[in-house]
Amino acid sequence: MTLPHDDAILVENLTKTYQVSEREGGFAAAVRSFFKRKYRDVHAVQQVGFHIQPGEVVGFLGPNGAGKTTTLKMLSGLLHPSQGTARVLGFTPWELKPEYLRSMTLVMGQRSRLSWDIPAADSFLLNQAIYRIPDNDYKQTLAELDDLLELEPIMRKPVRNLSLGERMKVELAAGLLHRPRVLFLDEPTIGLDITAQARIRGFLQEYNRRTGATILLTSHYMADVTALCERVIIIHEGRLKYDGGLSELSHRIAPFKLIGVAISDTAAYDLGKYGTPVTNAEDADKSYIQVQAADVTSVTARLLADLPIHDISISDPPIEEVIELAFHG
Amino acid sequence: MLRIYQRLWQVNWAEQWQYRANLVMYLLFWLVSPVVYLAVWTTIARTQGTVSGLTPNDFVTYYMTLLIIDQFTSEITIHIFAYKITDGTLAGELIRPMHPMLTNTLVNNVAFKTLTLMALLPIWGVLWLLFQPNFSAVTWQGILLAIPAVIIGFAISFLLGAALVCVAFWTTRVWALVEFYSALAALFSGQFVPLQLMPGVVQQVARYLPFQFYKYFPIELVLGGLSPQQIVTGYAMGIFWLVVALFLFLWAWRNGLKQFSAVGA
Repeated sequence: MTLPHDDAILVENLTKTYQVSEREGGFAAAVRSFFKRKYRDVHAVQQVGFHIQPGEVVGFLGPNGAGKTTTLKMLSGLLHPSQGTARVLGFTPWELKPEYLRSMTLVMGQRSRLSWDIPAADSFLLNQAIYRIPDNDYKQTLAELDDLLELEPIMRKPVRNLSLGERMKVELAAGLLHRPRVLFLDEPTIGLDITAQARIRGFLQEYNRRTGATILLTSHYMADVTALCERVIIIHEGRLKYDGGLSELSHRIAPFKLIGVAISDTAAYDLGKYGTPVTNAEDADKSYIQVQAADVTSVTARLLADLPIHDISISDPPIEEVIELAFHG
Repeated sequence: MLRIYQRLWQVNWAEQWQYRANLVMYLLFWLVSPVVYLAVWTTIARTQGTVSGLTPNDFVTYYMTLLIIDQFTSEITIHIFAYKITDGTLAGELIRPMHPMLTNTLVNNVAFKTLTLMALLPIWGVLWLLFQPNFSAVTWQGILLAIPAVIIGFAISFLLGAALVCVAFWTTRVWALVEFYSALAALFSGQFVPLQLMPGVVQQVARYLPFQFYKYFPIELVLGGLSPQQIVTGYAMGIFWLVVALFLFLWAWRNGLKQFSAVGA
């Protein structure tokens, strides 16, 4: 057992190196690699360390492939690290002690943990047995979850017939029936529409408030992070780059804004003299430049005066790119 | 603990019913080889009178008993578990406080076999009408003696199958190995022919292998074809292999998990 003032999550020097076999394309290379494999080390997580207090909600950020999911997998016990230690609620996760597994949960937005062929209600009952939840506690928790997530109309349908948003609700409920004290959430709102995202967010806030659970979550949606987390941990290329308040982080990134302009003949104009041109995969119709926040008004005015613009937008840079920009190198 | 198995049973039973077509396919696959051997060997025995002392009825009773015993001792772990390792879905089961193999997979096997057994019985009845077997050699003592053998046979095949599946932790190409294992098992379990028709060397080897427990040993117990000494040494060998299979599985599982990379999860 942990004392009230102990860290809920303690990570020191955590490192995971995968060995990946690789070969050139082509038949000859395939034959060669049959006899002699070449292995390459992939350093997914390198000497990461942090402490999280009980009841904290921490955003775990980083671009794709930064090592977020690998870290979550180690903390939930799915992966053995190559080096380093982690203690969650006083347990070493990868020992997979039943006591530990009963006090945490891992919910992955990309992955279903429920059986698709049967209604969620049946999976809930199975979880009740697996997690040894007494009948009264089970009824009470289910009633609370139903209250927050409106499960009643969806939990009797086979999971495969649920919409993405409905499925996420029952996944969360299934992961929380045993009232875990630590929640690892990997992209809990991915693929959901704005309304559903807001609901899940509201639910997580309320759950944290009611139970005092510790939450570590990754998300691609900055709104998730700003709504839920006062503290963020950022990793990039497997290394810890930032650990601190969200407001201090936005200070570091606030200087940037993105201005998107739609012009009929982009090639004819040099946007470079107004700011740094950047690409925005989500909106290929516009050309984007990045400018200092303080200069947004003046640059916009100049753009409108100089160029035949038929549409213009000003936005915060996407979180992924902010992190990339703020911490690269 | 009992409640876990009870709920797992409800879930797995409900799931199996969702895949009725799949079930029929498996059943046909299961039936084809014994029924073909049954037809071939009885035909040969009929034309020659006997084959190495075995009468046509010996073959009929052997294979008809095999069809039932096989339902009890066989396992389908490779079909329901290997993909969970290679595509990472195992992750969800690993972080639940119960052993994925010794609970969920075990119950899944049993649910599947219960259904196939139910489907097999009418087919068995039809075979009875076709081949008119004479089961007069079967005694209650023989059946009682065979029950522990069937349980041990299933335990060995389940644990060895589970250990074999763990190879998927190291390589995603576990199927080739499973094919090889199945071929060995078919040869030494008495699937192709009753073991007493095999060359002396093969019979000797089979006696020291676990596979005879899958089919030959329990079948012969039912049919009363073994001497008391053969029964004792057979059981001793079965218990030996049960222990070996258990340790083999536990070792493969523990070390396999260290390799598990939870891909895609």
